[in-house]
Amino acid sequence: MPVTVRIPTPLQQLSSGKSEVVCSAGSIAGLLEALELEHPGMKERLTEGGKVRRFINIYVNGADIRTLGAETTELKDGDTVAIIAAIAGGGEITFS
Amino acid sequence: MSGTELETIVEHCRKELPSEACGILGGRDGRVESVHPVKSMHPSPARYDMDPAGQFRALDELSRAGRELVGIYHSHPGGPAAPSGVDLEAACWPGTTLPNYPGAVQVIVSLQDRAAPVVKGYVLTGGTFIEVAIAISQESGGTRAGHR
Repeated sequence: MPVTVRIPTPLQQLSSGKSEVVCSAGSIAGLLEALELEHPGMKERLTEGGKVRRFINIYVNGADIRTLGAETTELKDGDTVAIIAAIAGGGEITFS
Repeated sequence: MSGTELETIVEHCRKELPSEACGILGGRDGRVESVHPVKSMHPSPARYDMDPAGQFRALDELSRAGRELVGIYHSHPGGPAAPSGVDLEAACWPGTTLPNYPGAVQVIVSLQDRAAPVVKGYVLTGGTFIEVAIAISQESGGTRAGHR
């Protein structure tokens, strides 16, 4: 099932500079394998211990996969998958 | 950015006290044209983690308006307007020194002195944050989005 995948800038060195690629997969887990096959190194950048890394958000048609089925989230023809780095941080507390 | 946009950012940071506030700055060519406050998933005085749904909506809004992410802002309620180790780690793609958002200015608002907020900007280059000047214009051409 062809789905369009939006690749974030830091990973575009693995996708020959492309910001979008088309992959065939029936689930997010399958998509991660397909991406690795087409663009070696991608899976390691996206997962840790078989799970999507903590500071990486993957959206299917705008919905965060963590609110769907995580890695088992099913994909259908024409879906758009966006891989987006989470935004986080924090300062030290030095009240004086 | 305009003075109005700066006020929007500082106002949002004050509103979230004692927790850190965060948001996205949209625009073109390094010029801020819109401010998008986003909720933190786990509000804390020393951490922020942008709500993924709010982040997506803000980025989608930017894209539809033909804008780009030109900056990310957050507050340090009890610390200086300087990036922390956590800020640096979180700004890089996991396991690399590649910036998640190349070229984006990290705007940090210190509310250590509640009466006199300090606002500074940084760009991540080669695994290090370099301070950049934030120019404030008098005109008010930007937009203020609601809380994501």
